[in-house]
Amino acid sequence: MSRNFLLIRLADLIVVLFGVSVLVFLMIRFIPGDAVAIMLGANTEITPERIAELESRLGLDLPVLQQYALWLTGVFHGDLGTSIWTGRPVTQEIGASLWPTAQLTLLSVIVGAGLSVPLGAFMAQSRGKGSEVAVRIGAIAGLTIPSFWLGIVSILLVAKYLPGVSMLGYVPFSQDPLGNLQRMILPVFALSLPMLANLSRLVRTAMLDALSQDYIRTARAKGAGRRRIVYHHALRNALIPFVTSVGVSIGYLLGGAIVVEQVFAIPGLGRLILGAIAERNYPLIQASILVVTASFVVINFLVDLLYAWIDPRISRQ
Amino acid sequence: MNQITRRGALFAALLAGSALPALAAGQLEIAIDSAPAGLDPHLITAFNSVLIVQANIYQGLTDLDASLSVVPGLASGWTVSDDGLTYRFALREGVTFHDGSSFDAEDVAASIRRVLSAEIASPLASRINLITAVTVIDPLTVELTLSAPFAPLLSSLATIAMVPAEVETNKDALQQAPVGTGPFRFAEWQPNAFIRLERNEGYYAEGQPALDAVRFQFVPEAATRQVGLVSGEYHLLPGVDPATALQLSAQPGVTLHQTRDLSYSLVGMNTTRGPLGDARVRRAVNLLLNRQDIIDGALFGAGVPGGPLSPALTEWATDTGAFDCYAHNVEAAQALLAEAGVTGPIPIVMKVLPRQDTRDIAQVVQQQLAAGGFVVELITPEIGQFVQDWRNSDFDMFVSVNGGAPDPDQYFYRTFYAGGSTNVFQYVNADLNALLDTGRSQTDMAARQATYAEAQAMLACEGPVAHLAYGTLTTATSAAVQGFEIHPMNRLTSLASVTLAE
Repeated sequence: MSRNFLLIRLADLIVVLFGVSVLVFLMIRFIPGDAVAIMLGANTEITPERIAELESRLGLDLPVLQQYALWLTGVFHGDLGTSIWTGRPVTQEIGASLWPTAQLTLLSVIVGAGLSVPLGAFMAQSRGKGSEVAVRIGAIAGLTIPSFWLGIVSILLVAKYLPGVSMLGYVPFSQDPLGNLQRMILPVFALSLPMLANLSRLVRTAMLDALSQDYIRTARAKGAGRRRIVYHHALRNALIPFVTSVGVSIGYLLGGAIVVEQVFAIPGLGRLILGAIAERNYPLIQASILVVTASFVVINFLVDLLYAWIDPRISRQ
Repeated sequence: MNQITRRGALFAALLAGSALPALAAGQLEIAIDSAPAGLDPHLITAFNSVLIVQANIYQGLTDLDASLSVVPGLASGWTVSDDGLTYRFALREGVTFHDGSSFDAEDVAASIRRVLSAEIASPLASRINLITAVTVIDPLTVELTLSAPFAPLLSSLATIAMVPAEVETNKDALQQAPVGTGPFRFAEWQPNAFIRLERNEGYYAEGQPALDAVRFQFVPEAATRQVGLVSGEYHLLPGVDPATALQLSAQPGVTLHQTRDLSYSLVGMNTTRGPLGDARVRRAVNLLLNRQDIIDGALFGAGVPGGPLSPALTEWATDTGAFDCYAHNVEAAQALLAEAGVTGPIPIVMKVLPRQDTRDIAQVVQQQLAAGGFVVELITPEIGQFVQDWRNSDFDMFVSVNGGAPDPDQYFYRTFYAGGSTNVFQYVNADLNALLDTGRSQTDMAARQATYAEAQAMLACEGPVAHLAYGTLTTATSAAVQGFEIHPMNRLTSLASVTLAE
């Protein structure tokens, strides 16, 4: 784990963020329909003067390059801009939306990844047995059922059989810990099930692969117990693809919990971005996509660190 | 086993844990589909913004009751000069803003100047732009002078919120932290989650509001709002769509409040595009449309065929039976098209507002117009694009939904007057222009009604808009809600008198 390694990754981060910021800036301006048109709506008294006035107030009458330069200058001064619609600093809006998504992601990963290891190990060991086939069919079902469907069905079921139970929306943990966790149960279930299905199949394959290796036979020969063989020798070698997959999943969850956030009315980052795109809230889109990108890159970086820890040969290369 | 039981108990505890304190006593939970875009009453246009601020946080000099008649608001009474050019308002005594300052004539003058100022660029300006002077007579009397008689003024003033004089030139302050005179004051805005209003302890009406607080939660998913109402998580859903209303009607404990909507679905026609400039062709389009089929096929039967004005405007609307083109008649349409010299297939590009109901309507309309030889191509652009095309008159026809207005002038003048700000049809009709000029200057109700009856007859069959249907406006409440009354403009005007049962 040299200092060079860290520096290179840091440079990567900056290049990726810069590239993404340019792309996002251009892309959202190429989507037809602009913020002013949407703000004025189809049913208000619209005059050319009003349009021009609004455009200049929002700085949208400047050339795109100049807009970008202005925005970038702001970013370097720690000013990510203000939301066009509410006039609040975007950092404030993103900050408020970050926690629900972070909590949702973290809990889903803990549940999904945590359960997938024993489940995958179980499938690898009892290959071909009835119970294993049942679990495998379950895993395929888990993979193919979309989260939003799971979400809506679970809401309907709880509403029918446990009426009066609050399961929608979000309450900060600090304010009401029980209420917070209670509202997390269904969304975490809906989000982590596909992940659990995916990861457990991956663990199973990797374990089967590892279990057929020579060192496993050696371990058996020297009299190691079954448990020790599976969890100490085989699992560690099966972990690399697993960790990669978990890292990628976290990235997708951060932005991809959108649908589940919609269904459960959770005020998270995905919903924030979706709303911002619909209303062409340029500063908010730019800043929130940057935040998601940065998290993605940082998580990948952490995954790389984990590789090195799992398999010391990697950092020596 | 032991472990499983313990886990089960923990799960049960989690579920049961906060079932009780989730709803604060006396806090009404309202679920709306999206966050409002700002709360400044003079700048907002988004439906949810208006829903939250109007009547709850802000009030106007006048008000519109549930039958859309003008009643006193912050003005307790008014007199109009004989020439219709001067309005003198007596203000209600003892009214204070939420910041504690008292409401007086200076605030009225500042509010009206604010709406009219080019700097603020309020979209409401055109509703009152005939006001040339605001004179403060004494702290509780204010006089408005007009450049020409303007009959809709009293109705328009109901939508002009009174704000504190200090914010007259401030564009930003009220967007996030509104300060008004209404029964509820702004308390908290969690972006992306909810807006909470608290009871205004200093509200002038004795014993109101009964609620401690109102919370507008942003819940984008219709199914979630529906389940939340049934499970008791939300108390009130405004603007329920017809399909959901049908499902909710079967739920015990849910009350549906319904009224005729002011807003309407329409087919707009660009009078500069080919044969659509010919009044006979537009009449033929009306004859080809079968409005009842559209309502049954696309709106779940929840609506009535309508002319240029909503049947909810009982004082103004002409019954559709009076419009001969509203009787579905394909032969008559074909004859008219032949008379107009239109032969062969008529290609039409129809832009469709991206909503489920308008998409469904457009498909039915496409079928119906085919009988007359119209080959309609449906294009459903993304909303921003639709608005842009609409504004630039870039369409042959479009299908959309428009909000209505309580006074005919507020809709007709800007939409059908030559050069009007929303006359995207580029419709020019000198006779109609003259009628609309007359209508806005008349103060005698009977004479005004006659004028607008004539205008409706002129517009219904040969105008640039084929009005299709007026929907049913539905608000759903749970069993705990008492005293709610629906308003045809879909505003929550009755929250001040709503109570929550235990």
